[in-house]
Amino acid sequence: MNVDNTIHFEHVSRWYGQVIGLNDVSFTIPKGLTALLGPNGAGKSTMLKLVTGQIKPTTGGIAVLGEQPFSNPRVARNLGYCPEIDNFYEDMTGRQFVELMATLSGYKGQDKTQRVQNSIDRVGMSDRCDRKLGGYSKGMRQRIKVAQAIVHDPKVLVLDEPLNGLDPLGRRDMVNLYQQFAEEGMCVLISSHILYEVEQITDRILVMYKGRLLAQGGIRDIRKQIDSHPHRITLTTDNPRKLAGALLLDDTVISARMPQDNHRVVEVETAQPEKFYSNLADIILDGGFEVDVFQAPDNNLEAVFRYLVSA
Amino acid sequence: MTADFRLFLNALKDVLSSRRIFVALFLMVLPAIIGLIWKSAAGERFEALESYNTLAAGLVFGFILTILSVIYGTGVLSQELEGRTIVYLLTRPIPRWRILLAKYLGAWLAITVTVSISEVLLALAMFGTKLSGVPLMSDIKIIPLGAAAYGALFLLLATLLSKPLSYGLLFAFGWESWVPSLPGGFSRWSIMAYLRTLAPHLQETAESTTETGGGGGGDISEILMAFNPVSIPPITAWFAIPIITLVCLGLSLYFFSVREYSPKEEAS
Repeated sequence: MNVDNTIHFEHVSRWYGQVIGLNDVSFTIPKGLTALLGPNGAGKSTMLKLVTGQIKPTTGGIAVLGEQPFSNPRVARNLGYCPEIDNFYEDMTGRQFVELMATLSGYKGQDKTQRVQNSIDRVGMSDRCDRKLGGYSKGMRQRIKVAQAIVHDPKVLVLDEPLNGLDPLGRRDMVNLYQQFAEEGMCVLISSHILYEVEQITDRILVMYKGRLLAQGGIRDIRKQIDSHPHRITLTTDNPRKLAGALLLDDTVISARMPQDNHRVVEVETAQPEKFYSNLADIILDGGFEVDVFQAPDNNLEAVFRYLVSA
Repeated sequence: MTADFRLFLNALKDVLSSRRIFVALFLMVLPAIIGLIWKSAAGERFEALESYNTLAAGLVFGFILTILSVIYGTGVLSQELEGRTIVYLLTRPIPRWRILLAKYLGAWLAITVTVSISEVLLALAMFGTKLSGVPLMSDIKIIPLGAAAYGALFLLLATLLSKPLSYGLLFAFGWESWVPSLPGGFSRWSIMAYLRTLAPHLQETAESTTETGGGGGGDISEILMAFNPVSIPPITAWFAIPIITLVCLGLSLYFFSVREYSPKEEAS
């Protein structure tokens, strides 16, 4: 197992006594931005602790930048970690904390000073970094945690719930920053339990539930994998009854119905969404329908997650 | 500044934190205050050397050295674990054993300085500035050894146990209080017995306490001791304390390198 610039899990399981935290998980994460999605208790933090070498797998193998990460300074040299925990050396200032982390990464003198300043600038904390950490807001603490994680220019950046506590503006800034890191060639792994948050960050996800990896890949690709579940599409039109009749004539359509609470909407179910989309334009044009709104709610992450969990 | 030196300074800074510094200052002056009270209460019957030996053996070595070693020795690791800041240290590109060694050395220096100051203040309280003939230097000489051995032992407990402070206190004030007084070869299993061997006036104090029935030694101990007297030669003590230190420290560094030390995540 020697996969450079990636995180690679091969049949990894992790037990905590009688409780399983991670169950036979295999995946490879390349450069770029990947989100780790799952509800609380899904095994996300266990996975991130394994990636960052804090804990060892019970079975299976892990490679980060081609090496096993547990207690391995060579991996830590190229790995930045922003933990979920909100604990610090509270009597330090933000700058002192980032400086300490830079020192522990082996930097000295002018190089260290420059790195610390750059990291603080990138997370937007330049004007607040000389205040004590104990007086920081949750959002400021999140930013400083990211600053310490990037101070040594890691190739792999692991962020555990990094958007918790940020206001909407802060979220947008930080999401942009994570996307910049990915564009610069970093392998960025972000965990989150908030679906819409993940959708805004990246299209590439790992979905976890009860210690198992349910799916991996692009959100749309994952949706394609769920062939057994019909795909829902809603159309808002001036003549829903006639449109429903026309849609039912198409062999890709399983059902078409009009919800009682909205008389302008047609809900369609199809098992062949790609073919249906290609036929839909002809159906609308041939029937002369005016379609105001077209929605494919099953393409969103929440639907994907719901299907995967119920499967 | 290197990473190791920074960790060493941080360990010292932890010890000197506002909460702990008051405890350390209190322990520094406690023997001297008790000595002064004893002196004023005894009046003309006051024996400075005997009082000094008793307080040095019972309070400085028997209490302050051991309690500080328990607190600072276990605190090296448990403070980072309880504060959940250990995650920042363990994900840095520095070998784990170096992290622990630097922090251990910080704790060792803090214990040594605090106990030494306590001992000096006690001597000044008992003898004033006339310190010739006072066994102060022999005590000061063995304080770093005691701090190293106890610190390493309690550090080992911290690397292995989830509640090292409780077990450390049990050892310090249970095992170390009783075992050196027990007959037979039991004293060889006590760090305090070796320290008393290196500072004979502390040994004499302990024995005289036993002979007079004080200190909990009791008559059975005297009888058993008479049948099976065991004394530790100083050369054995000079070797035993560094060996205990090296073994405990080596095991601590090893376990810290191979075991998992991960704080629980907060519930989101």
